[in-house]
Amino acid sequence: MKARDAVFDTLKVKVDERPQSLPQDLAEALRLGAISIIVLLVAAFLFSGVVGPLFALGGVEETVMDVLTRLSLLALPFVAYIGGASVARRYTRSDIARALGLAFSSTVLLFALISAGYYVLDYGVFAPRPSLQMTLSQTEAGIRVEAIVAGGAAETAGLQVGDVITAIRRDAVDLEAFNKRLGQALEGDPLRLRFRRGDEELQETVRVVLVSDKQLGALWPGLSLALAFTAIIVFLPGHWAPYIALVGLLSPLIVGYFWVITATFSFRTEGLVPLDGNDNFGGFTLKNWESIFVGNIAGLEFNIVPIFMTSLAIAAVMTFVVLLVSSMAGYALSRMHFPGRRFFLSFTLILHGFPAITLLIPIFFVLLRLGNIPIIGDLIGFNTIGGIALVMVAFQLPLGVWLMKGFFDNIPWDMERSALIDGASRWRTYWEILLPQIRPGLLALGIFAFIGGWNAYIIPATYSIGSGVSNLPVFLEELIDATAPVDWNQVAAVGLFQLIPIFIFFIFAQEYLLNIYAGGTKGSS
Amino acid sequence: MKVTIDNLSKKFGDVVGVENLTLHIEDGEFVAFLGPSGCGKTTTLLTLAGIYKPTDGVIRFGERIVNTVQPKDRNIGMVFQSYALYPHMTVFQNIAYPLKLKKVSKADQHDRVRQVANVMGIGELLDRRPGQLSGGQQQRVALGRALVKEPDVLLFDEPLSNLDARLRLTMRGEIKHLQKDLGITSIYVTHDQVEAMTMADRIAVMSGGHLQAFDSPDELYDRPKTQFVAGFVGNPPMNFVDVSVQASNGRFFAETESLRLEVQKARGAPPASHDGPVVMGIRPEDIQIASNGLVSGEIFVVEPLGREDLIDVRVGRHSFLLLADTENRHQAGERVSLAFDMEQVQFFDPETEKSLLWQ
Repeated sequence: MKARDAVFDTLKVKVDERPQSLPQDLAEALRLGAISIIVLLVAAFLFSGVVGPLFALGGVEETVMDVLTRLSLLALPFVAYIGGASVARRYTRSDIARALGLAFSSTVLLFALISAGYYVLDYGVFAPRPSLQMTLSQTEAGIRVEAIVAGGAAETAGLQVGDVITAIRRDAVDLEAFNKRLGQALEGDPLRLRFRRGDEELQETVRVVLVSDKQLGALWPGLSLALAFTAIIVFLPGHWAPYIALVGLLSPLIVGYFWVITATFSFRTEGLVPLDGNDNFGGFTLKNWESIFVGNIAGLEFNIVPIFMTSLAIAAVMTFVVLLVSSMAGYALSRMHFPGRRFFLSFTLILHGFPAITLLIPIFFVLLRLGNIPIIGDLIGFNTIGGIALVMVAFQLPLGVWLMKGFFDNIPWDMERSALIDGASRWRTYWEILLPQIRPGLLALGIFAFIGGWNAYIIPATYSIGSGVSNLPVFLEELIDATAPVDWNQVAAVGLFQLIPIFIFFIFAQEYLLNIYAGGTKGSS
Repeated sequence: MKVTIDNLSKKFGDVVGVENLTLHIEDGEFVAFLGPSGCGKTTTLLTLAGIYKPTDGVIRFGERIVNTVQPKDRNIGMVFQSYALYPHMTVFQNIAYPLKLKKVSKADQHDRVRQVANVMGIGELLDRRPGQLSGGQQQRVALGRALVKEPDVLLFDEPLSNLDARLRLTMRGEIKHLQKDLGITSIYVTHDQVEAMTMADRIAVMSGGHLQAFDSPDELYDRPKTQFVAGFVGNPPMNFVDVSVQASNGRFFAETESLRLEVQKARGAPPASHDGPVVMGIRPEDIQIASNGLVSGEIFVVEPLGREDLIDVRVGRHSFLLLADTENRHQAGERVSLAFDMEQVQFFDPETEKSLLWQ
């Protein structure tokens, strides 16, 4: 059985329930675990040792490969336990004791195997950690130095047994805070310690060194984690697996939104926990929202109404123009033959692939020139809502035209012929017969364009420099720029405020949005 | 309204849709365009409707040349295979649409739609949408929509193809009856020769963009002018055998290595005077399994059709389709002798595929 199957085995209820002897099962579990380990090790090696350097040769940063390597190594033990547990899963219905015994023994053995590997490679819990090479304990007076490693960092700096450390620089610390600070330090970082020796107040700078202490005691939490994880895998209903995977993958988003929502309603947050001024749980407030409407955040005065209206204007103009032009161009491309039709189709597709950013500067000049033309310049020139909307429309059109063409393609020719024979002009056929039938497509594209226009940042920010014109995303950026220190809870409130119309849109329009993502195949009826 | 087509050609780039078509359709006549897929019959119909512009030739409605007239100005009604009902409109709105475009008053629209709907038997369905109707009902709505503006010419593009067999039979009769009642010149495109035979006054058989024959159903059946027409009209299709026709002592014989059949003079003389081998055609109903038959063969397969069996009999290397009474319970592998009704036999030139009997 391949490692891939081992992973997938956990996703489905095992059909094959032939009982085997325990050693056989255990051997199979270990084999699966070992295969997982080898596969992920090879992957990690490929990412870091082969692909990464190749990328680096081209001058590209290795960050992605680095992340992939770390992910492979991080996932390695868990995948191995899944492999082992998958063998145990076949007994969960018939013989729980056996399933548990098998799962736990395979986990312990795999854990031992992996830990041995870590020990040899100075990896994981055995990785060198920052240290000042002294033993400390918390006392009433402060952190007491209990022992010092001869020739170590602490001794070099001049600390002695019996010194009581009270602060790092000016920040008073207890042992927990001290260890936290130390844990975040890099090799060679100087830590200026204040300490008392007898009645003297002294301070010395100690340089952090990396020490691998290889404490076996550090393995116990790891083992408990491994066993708990295996237990979950063994008893997890198979059909939950996709949801767990999805929630796991989406967790950054979920946590992010949870924070945004919590933050807007609280005085300040520590991680996800709302705190009041005294660092206690609580501090819920509506102040963040209130100041949006009052128009004063940390001294930055503004009026939210014109900003909101600018956002709305950009989004509305964009929606209208995109719908109008896309549907008509889509109709022409779907129904009419004219010279250059194929070229136009492929050309717009290429345009769609162009990242907007690359054209930022050239378009800047185009708008600047346009702005010099009388009358037109006031409508669609530099620093106007019209100009911003025009550029955004241009970027949205290739997608819109293709989408609309797809919807029109799905309307049978006969329908249109029938209307023409019934006595309608071509324009009327388009308006009265065809458009109503692609309404789902129009709605979807409209919503798409609206959201695009509403959330637009880079284009409005670039083409409204130094003018009074700013929409909500641009205002958000200004808010971050203009306040120091940045009140992130306030920023979150403005961000969430910006999202409200989108939420409302989604509630009413998700059905149509699903339509657009399904590829526009539900054109008729 | 008379419809006159003179030397009509329609080309799409290099692809020939229809070429050099000449047809004169009388006022009130029901004409079927019959032919296999891609023979140009629908192209011709759409050109008549004004959807396609002719590449060459002249189309007249009555005396008026309509080559460049827009579809909406031709006063035609058309029924499509897909019905082409407007899904976002109710049945009433669908039928009223041509009237609405003609700016007929609301009250008149109402009256005429009701009237047409009652004739079509869909008076109860006016508030429904096409999606809520069965295929047969949709077909009636489409027909009603085509009729409501009292067109000069009615065009049908395989209107019955999407219906089930039983409904097709009913609608066939209804359309024919309605057409005779209203006396509207009608052109009906189909690939189903039964539809064409049963409904049309005259049939235009088309193949590869060319008109093969334009004649009444009986003429086409009894006196096919080309081998294509002979093979296409009639179900099951005509049997074809390569034979040589010899004259001896004033008698004529169609011969192959395994067959020798006497042909009467009227039918035997023209092929006998033709140089080289000819194609003999004989319809399944003109071959009988008979104890006194002159030709013996072996049954290859028996296909029960209910009323009769369609039997494939192999004679030497030839294969003949024929119809036999089900009561005889013929079995595959059985040896039988066949009697040919040589008075109905047809002969064709293998090169030109033209009939040697009828010109």
